[in-house]
Formats: sequence, C-alpha cells, structure tokens
Amino acid sequence: MRFIFLTLMTAILVVFLNPVAPFWVVMIGIGVLSALIYPNGIGGFLGGGLGMGLTWLGQSIYLGITTASPLPDRMGELMGLGTGMTLIAITGVVGFLLGAFSGWTGVLFRNLLQKTPKNVYRG
Amino acid sequence: MKYVSFFLVLAIAVSLAVVVSLPIGQIPPLAPLLDPNHGFWQNSISEDQLAEEEIDLENLSAPVEIVYDKNLIPHIFAQNDLDLYRAQGYVTAQHRLWQMEFQTMAAAGRISEIVGPVALELDRMTRRKGLAYGAELGLKYLQEHDPETLALVEAYSDGVNQYISQLDKARLPVEYKILNYRPEAWSAYKSLLLLKYMSDMLVGDRDLEFSNLRKILGEAKLDKLFPDFPKENDPVIEAERIWDFTPIPVTKPDSLAYPNDELVIEPLPQPTEGTGSNNWAVAGKKTKNGNPILANDPHLSLNLPSLWYSMQLTTPEHSVKGATLPGALGVISGFNQDIAWGVTNATKDTRDWYKITFQDESRKAYKYGNEWRPTDFRIEEIKVKGEDPFIDTVVYTHHGPVVYDRTFRSNRQDVNFALKWTVHMGSNEQRTFLMMNKAKNHNDYNEALNHYVAPAQNFVFASRTGDIAMRIQGKFPLKWPGQGKFFMDGADPLMEWQGYIPNEQNPSTLNPERGFVSSANQHPVDKSYPYYVFDNSYEHYRNRRLNRRLREMEQITVDDMKALQFDDYNLQAAEALPILISLLGTHKSDSPEAEKYLKELKSWDFFADPNQKGQTLYSVWSSETFESIWRELLANEPPVLRPNTYQTIDLLTNSPTDSLFDVKGIEGIETADYHVRVGFDSLLVAMAKWENEEGDYSWANYKKTTIQHLVPNFKSFSAPNVYTGGGSGILNATGSRHGASWRMVVEMGSEIKAFGVYPGGQSGNPGSKFYDNFIPIWANGEYLNFDLRTPENQEEMLFKTILK
Repeated sequence: MRFIFLTLMTAILVVFLNPVAPFWVVMIGIGVLSALIYPNGIGGFLGGGLGMGLTWLGQSIYLGITTASPLPDRMGELMGLGTGMTLIAITGVVGFLLGAFSGWTGVLFRNLLQKTPKNVYRG
Repeated sequence: MKYVSFFLVLAIAVSLAVVVSLPIGQIPPLAPLLDPNHGFWQNSISEDQLAEEEIDLENLSAPVEIVYDKNLIPHIFAQNDLDLYRAQGYVTAQHRLWQMEFQTMAAAGRISEIVGPVALELDRMTRRKGLAYGAELGLKYLQEHDPETLALVEAYSDGVNQYISQLDKARLPVEYKILNYRPEAWSAYKSLLLLKYMSDMLVGDRDLEFSNLRKILGEAKLDKLFPDFPKENDPVIEAERIWDFTPIPVTKPDSLAYPNDELVIEPLPQPTEGTGSNNWAVAGKKTKNGNPILANDPHLSLNLPSLWYSMQLTTPEHSVKGATLPGALGVISGFNQDIAWGVTNATKDTRDWYKITFQDESRKAYKYGNEWRPTDFRIEEIKVKGEDPFIDTVVYTHHGPVVYDRTFRSNRQDVNFALKWTVHMGSNEQRTFLMMNKAKNHNDYNEALNHYVAPAQNFVFASRTGDIAMRIQGKFPLKWPGQGKFFMDGADPLMEWQGYIPNEQNPSTLNPERGFVSSANQHPVDKSYPYYVFDNSYEHYRNRRLNRRLREMEQITVDDMKALQFDDYNLQAAEALPILISLLGTHKSDSPEAEKYLKELKSWDFFADPNQKGQTLYSVWSSETFESIWRELLANEPPVLRPNTYQTIDLLTNSPTDSLFDVKGIEGIETADYHVRVGFDSLLVAMAKWENEEGDYSWANYKKTTIQHLVPNFKSFSAPNVYTGGGSGILNATGSRHGASWRMVVEMGSEIKAFGVYPGGQSGNPGSKFYDNFIPIWANGEYLNFDLRTPENQEEMLFKTILK
C-alpha cells in the first residue's frame, strides 16, 4: 500500500517540482517523501524508481507526441543510439535509477531514526 | 548495520547523481540533457507552441508589437529606432542565439573554448589574421566618430542580453546543452566582429601562390596563363561607361625588387570556390508592368541554422524587409517602401603581404627605409576546453599582423610576413546598412555606401521612381599595375599602397542605356577604368549567361526573374564540351560504356537539372582533364595555383598544340588531345566505380547538395542530399556545399511585390518545425511572399507578441 502511495507521490513531485528545480533537488525530495511514507526497503526503491522513471518516460513520450518533433530521432542519431525510441527508454531508465536510489536512501534514513527495542522479550 | 546500509545506499545515490551530472570525455552530462523538464526534450517544442502575448522588455520608450507570419517571420513595429533595434536584438536572440554567439566565437578565434584542442590551429589562424583586432578598431571608430550608431548597436546588444538573462534552462538552445556551455553576454563589439567574419568568409588572396609561380614560370609565361582580363570580358559596370573624372596619379617605382624566396608555407584557407553571388535590376522599359525589378541571390556555404534570418523592421519613418544577419542591425539585403537593394561580393585584391626584416631575435624592431621601427606585441590567450590556455604572441607592424612567423605555418626560421588588409582599418559598415534601410532614393543610397569599407560589395539598386543603379563599394587601395600580386618587401617604402580610390571614383552606373544593371562576381570594369584592378577569382560564366539573357529579354515579369535565378544552363559546358568531344576523336570507340556516355553527353542540352546525367559526365570528364593538364605544375613543392577554367578551356580551344600541354615526364610531345583522353579514361574508371557503388548518376544524386549544421559533426542536424539542380559557374549556383543562401525578387512600383526564400528556416532550433521548412521550397525554385505588412493585417498570422 505504502509503496503505491510513494509511487504516486513521487510522480506528483516530479511533475510539479522538476520544472522549477534540477533533477538532484527532485532526488532529495523523493528521499524525504520516502522517509515520511516509510515503505519497506524494496518498496522505497521501486516506489521512488517507478515514480520518477515512469514520469520521465511519460513526459518524454508526451513531448514527442504533442510536438511531432524530429529532435528525438536527431538526438538518437547524434548520440549513436539509433532512434528517438532508444532515448525515451534511456530517459526512463536514468529516471528510474535516480528515483530508486533516492527512495531507498529515504527509507534507510528513516530506519536510523526508529528506536530499536533493546530487549524484545523484556519489553 | 543500519548505519552501514544507509551510508552505502546514500553513497550510491550521490555517486549516481554526480556521474550523470558530469561530462565524460566529449559526452555531455547525461541527466541535465535527458531530464524532460530541462533537457533536450524541451527543445522539441516549436515557437508557435511557446507564443506569449506579452513579454517584459526593459528600457523601451513605448510598447513594440511583433507580428509573426505563418513562416515565423517577425514583423516588428516600434515607435523609434532605439526601440526597434532593441527589439530586433531580443527577437533574433529568441530564435538564433546559439548561432550568433558561435559565429562571433569563430570570428574571435575562441572555438577551442567550446570544442577543445581540435580547433586550436583554426583559432590561432583567426587571431593571427587580426579579425578581433579589426573589430576593436571598428568599435573605437564608433566611439570617436559615430556615437549615434553606437547607441543603436548598444540597444541591440541590450535586447540580446535581456533575452539571455530571462532564459531558463528548458529554453536554452540544444547546442549549448550538447556542448555543455552557457551563453555569455552580448556586446556592441560582437556585432562588429560579425561583420569582420563576413569579410573573412568572402575575401582571399593568392599572393603566396603567385609569388611562387613568378619564380617557377617567369613573368612572361605567368602573364600568358593568368592574364589580367579575359578575352570576352563582360564586366559589372557596362563596358560603354565613360569615366568622367580625373584619376589620382599612381607612381610605379622605377625598379621593382620582389623578395625572391621560394615560399614553402602552408597557405591560409581561401573562400571556397562557389562562394559568389548574383544581383541585377531591370529598368521599367524592359518590364511588362513598367516597374523596375530587382533580384539578388548571395551564394555562400549552405548551413543550418541559416546565415540569414528574415524580418520586417518598421517605425513611423520607415518600413524595411528582407534578410538580416543574426548579430548585426537592420536588413542586409532587402527593400523598403521606396527602394530595394542587394549585394554580391566584389572581389578585388585588398589583402597584401609584406616581408618583414626584424632587427634581431627579439623582434622588437623591424627595418623600414633607413630606420628600425618598433613593433607591437599582441598576446593572444586562447582558452582550450579541458586543457591549459595556449598563449600565442603576434607581432604587429605598421603594415599589419605578422601572420607567418617561426611559430606558425612555416618550416623556415627566417620567414616573416605581415598582412595588410582593409579589415584592419577602423570602419563603419553597420552605418551603411542602417542608412540603407531608410534610404528613399539614389542619393540616399550613395550616402549610405560612402561609409562602407569591407568586404567590398556590388550594391545593386532599384527605386519606386524608376531608377536602377550599381555601385562597387569598398575601400580600394591605389596600386600601380601589378602591385600586390606578389609578396612585397616591407622594408621598402616604395612598396606601400599610395592611398585609396575616392568613393566617387569607385565604379558605378545609374540608369544605363541597356536597361539593366547586373553583377555576378566578374571583373568590375573593362580596361578603360583608370585604376589597376586585379583579383584571381573573377567569374567568367555566370556573368555572360546573365547578361545575355537580360539583353534578350523584354516584357519581363517577376516570374521571369525567379526563373532566371533558378537557371541551370551550364555555359562552360556549352563552350567546352564540343571541344572535348572533338579532341577525343575515336579514342575508346570500341567500349560500350564509352559509347553510352558519349551518347548521353551528345544529347545533353547543357542544363544542369537534377535529373540530368550529361552534367555529371561533363563535370567528371572536364575536371579530370584539367587536372591532367596542370598536374606537373601543381606537383611543385611550394604551393602554386592553376590557371582558371576559362583560361584552360581557351588554351584547349585555340592553342591545342601549345608546349604547355607537353608532359615532361613522358617521352614524346603531348598535346591537348592527350589530356582529354586521360580525362576520359578517368571518367570511365570513376563512373564504373560510381555505378557499382551508388548506381544512379543523375546530377542531384551525384553532387549531393548538403545543408550542413555549423558543427559539422552534428550530422543529424544537417539536411543531406537535397534534390536540386545547378552548380558552380551556373546562375543557380547550388553545388554540393555552396549555393544561393538567399533569393529575393522585388518589383518596385505603386504597390511593391516581393518574394524571398533561403535554404533553412526561421528557427535555429533543430527540434522546431521552423528549422528547415524552407528547404523544399528553395530546392524547387519556389518563393515565399515577402510583401510588407501593416500591424492591422491579420492574414496568415501565426501569433502576435507585445514587448513592453
């Protein structure tokens, strides 16, 4: 549940914060979100990753469709990656990795703050 | 354990963020480039999708309205000149910022800052030629003599800078994102630098090669192979023109001692063959509507973003439209309500070399007459991306910068040559264009031209009241016959230029009897002009085709003039091919391929249309033949030059048994037919290879016209293999990399009808639909409507923006 919530919140964060802030500020934001929502480690990793990766993927596809611009193909050829489709995929993967490690870091940070009971049996 | 895992994952996240924000070698930082909100994806958006109704622009005295037509051509309506040029700077930067900055970086010798050590040699050369030095003198000239123009140039610069300061990352031109740098502030100096860049693009000299040829061939043979005037001279100013002035006397020294060095120096790059232009105007008596019609098509490197940017600039006093140069103020080739004008390059040797004798190794003084004159040192610090700056010391004499010395392009320690060039003299070309934009008649046009120094141009003119005119304007040194053809001794005061030809004695004509004026980079005048005129690169074919057509045409319409700009008739082939075929005789008559090619050549109508095969065959055969004729001459170690094609064809036609056709390395005596056969054999080999590898050899497929991005490596931003005809020496001068960079036809009359097109688009952004949308129109010889617009006109409007 928390993982899905984190994915959604990350996507919203990328949509609203990214236009006015560079990607590394967004990464910090995802870390904070993840620490607040506090899913488990895998949830943090996948939630942050999918939230940012799918949003970047969606945004690049959206720009490609609404503008019908030849630029993605031109950039793909320039970078030796073939077509714009490859670049869409790479954009998604880079977004996923950046978001995923930010999300995971957030969860592990929250772990640091959790008080671990010294003796579970004595309470 | 919790701490270990946290710090480990944090370290991975931070390292990942760092890795994708840093450039790796030539690869730009990945995340900023791929980020859909700031990276290259944002450059997919075209200008109409980003249209804003209002934009804040400071320092305006009144709001400025900008109406974009459907082709993204801005029509700027301002209340005064300061507002107008501030807005021009802003709007140009909106669409062409990267290009205008890149071109001035090139002119300043600063490309290494962007691309690294690969451009160092190019930057050193640019700086040694003194382009930046020339621009500094130009700025000083404006500060001292023309504060009015300076204020306008500064307003333009302010407009550009306001755009740069408003620019967010998303809107940054994609080239900055890929090459990973940011625009710096614009300045008046940069606008002047741009005009120097044009000089560099258009002006060359062959003094080095001629000096060597003089030594190798002797003066008599040199004059035979390189005559000052061709047999059939059809000059810019009609030959019948009577020169009604008293020329300034020029004294030739009694004895001439040229430096006798054999110059094994790598020559500076020259304007590429194919760089040239056509312009003409026909008088009302030759046109159907009785109005003068003016046409202009400058031929330059075909690049994207295009060198030209179209605009209309309007104040209550004037309204001008045409092609602007991003970075420079006003319109460069265009028309207003009263006049139209256009430019072609007027080559004439304005660049000379002087041998410098330094007093000692320190190079602090050089010999001049009986004295030692002090030199100046200009330290050029060239910043290099990823490396330490390179420091180059350039010595300046009163002649100009010492371009060739022990550190640059010479393998000899004692070789020092200074470059004297009109570009190094304070000048005010910008004022010419500002005045021309507002000119109302022939007098205003002449007044405007009086400020123009370099690069020399043939300025064609037509007015609503029926005048047509041509004036060749530049600052031309007074030279004795032969002066400046060879390297001269800089220590001998007799070798100095003896002043300059006064502006009113520059060749010009107004309403000539023949009813038209024209220029196509040919000889400016015939032999009766009282001053020495020399250049190696005069055109011999386009001019004769153009003038023949204009002489025979009557009842001319705008469509006729458009067709003439797109005329593919190859006059050179028409003159040379019958000679080649006759000299070939029965050579290879048993080969079926030879028979096929000859049949195609014989049935060819001499039009270099895109689907023609004859043009391809002629082009290969003739160039291989000429190559064979001059192979031994060009094999000399010191750089030399071969006689031009016109002269070569004349020799083939009229002196086929001349001794110059003899190849010393082969036994017996060779004549012209030997070289024609060698050329034909090479044609067979070349075509067999082409047909095998590429198949179709129709002309467009063979010449592969390419409109190349300013960074040649950015191949996918270029437009390759554009299907269009024409070629070098043809009125439609579209070769593989050069051609009509702008075509304009204007009919002046009570209602002005104007048409224009260039191979590119208004946007400099390779992601925009306005980046290359004119190319198919241009390639088909079609035009866009360029009529003047009023602010009320809503027809075919894309959007409107108010600056305030």
